[in-house]
Amino acid sequence: MINPNDPKDNPLAEELGRLVQAVAAAGKATLPGSPDALLSSIVEAAASIFGAAAASILLVNEAEGVLEFKVTYGASNRDLVGTRIPLDQGIAGYVAMSGQPIAISDVAQDTRFNRDFAQSTGYVPRSILATPLTSGERILGVMEVLDKINAPSFGMQDMELLGLFARQAAIAIDQAQSIEHLGEALVLSLKRLAASDAEHPSDSLLVVLDSNPDGGSQNDLLKLADLLNEFSRLGEAEREMGLKILTVFSEYAQNQRRVNLGEGWR
Amino acid sequence: MSAEDEMLPAYSQQFLPDVIRELTSSGPISEITPEWAWGGSTGQGVRVAVVDTGIEYDHPALGGQVYGGVNIDWDDTAKDKVRYEPVDQPIDLVGHGTGCAGIIHSIAPEAKLYSVRVLGTNMKGRAYQFASGVDWAVENGMDVVNLSLSTARQDYFAMFHALTDDAYFKNIVLVSAVSNLLEPSYPSLYSSVISVASHAGRDPLTYYYNPNPPVEFGAPGIDLRVAWKDKGYVISTGNSFAAPHITGIVALIRAKHPDLTPFHIKCVLWACAANVHRGNPGAAS
Repeated sequence: MINPNDPKDNPLAEELGRLVQAVAAAGKATLPGSPDALLSSIVEAAASIFGAAAASILLVNEAEGVLEFKVTYGASNRDLVGTRIPLDQGIAGYVAMSGQPIAISDVAQDTRFNRDFAQSTGYVPRSILATPLTSGERILGVMEVLDKINAPSFGMQDMELLGLFARQAAIAIDQAQSIEHLGEALVLSLKRLAASDAEHPSDSLLVVLDSNPDGGSQNDLLKLADLLNEFSRLGEAEREMGLKILTVFSEYAQNQRRVNLGEGWR
Repeated sequence: MSAEDEMLPAYSQQFLPDVIRELTSSGPISEITPEWAWGGSTGQGVRVAVVDTGIEYDHPALGGQVYGGVNIDWDDTAKDKVRYEPVDQPIDLVGHGTGCAGIIHSIAPEAKLYSVRVLGTNMKGRAYQFASGVDWAVENGMDVVNLSLSTARQDYFAMFHALTDDAYFKNIVLVSAVSNLLEPSYPSLYSSVISVASHAGRDPLTYYYNPNPPVEFGAPGIDLRVAWKDKGYVISTGNSFAAPHITGIVALIRAKHPDLTPFHIKCVLWACAANVHRGNPGAAS
């Protein structure tokens, strides 16, 4: 007997489930390279324009109350990417909390500020300029440049200039985050839509959206999307070659299946 | 204008030496001088709240003039979503609040300072914590409130508007730094507050009036030596440090002329601005 609320018996709901998967994969596949590569280049450009010894971008992790180093450039005795610092400490924390840029120099060598900073980064700066990365009213993170070469401090003019770099970085981060969450966003809005229509409750739709249909195949699909993205980044020829190999493999697998099913070669 | 001048923080361009408009006061207002307004005043007894990152109250730059305060943290379980705790330790999360307090103390050494810490780890609640801090200052008898922070959140526009009007009608002067980014920032853009951006000068009592609001006053905010956490000092730049200069001057005025209201004080500040020249006291204004 057909139960319209069972997704298996509801072609529309099943089709929608597939669509959500495809959208998530398409989002990943079209992600413009790794956003980290773009952010690295922004940070490097900022450091070189300001004549700074080092520069970095930290992203806010609201749930855990920390800032996490996303990309770094320049002087530091170890790779900082992934290092976390509490949101309520230090210059970067202040910038994230207040949403305001700040320039600081002449930090006395014996303050806890420096010891903390040195512990978290292995690098003690003499001057810092930090500015927020914002998307509308949301603070995404902080961009900072450290130690202006040939000058004791970052000037007022540096503050607004860094703001321009920060705007670029914020756009890149915001877009990457949106694309990464495309599938989730679609599910969320469809759910709202389904739940809001009280006259025509679409239980089967909600069942599909609530379920994580075949997590394994979803993950494989995303891996595949990553792979295609990687091919595209390598170049047009590589992308075509990659697709060709996959197509050949697909044909081979289908033929194998027919053989196993006893259909034989045609 | 040099390329360097063009890149001052937002709203500070109005206070460049070759941009500042020269104005003239006339009538009785031209009789108001800095000497009359704050000469001999130390800010004695005036209560000044610093809404910020906390104050390291045992910092030598503050001369023991911090008399108390409150820490306001986001708390989902609390009735008002925020938790109020009295300040019982000399902790400034960053150093910024101590820097602001130090500037105020250097101008009004006998004003009583109060720390209202509203910044913390919570990102979502920070505009609300900030509003709660302004409210605390208004409800706890402060005479002047230094707001070296602001919010760009549109949904807080009405809340801050109501708060600042409430302060104004309760005879409390709010001094608000405008954002360093060119963006709307509340409450600095309301007429019921005194809004401040930076100029590049160093004299703490020299400030300018801008006849093209929203930002009204320009005070020192560039490459200043300010107190910082761990009994330290740093050189820092930002509109954050311009506001406490005006806060200090307002404290001086309030100590000397306790009968003046917020709108009188804005008028006195205007009359004493470095770019407002005294005209003929006999002429109609």
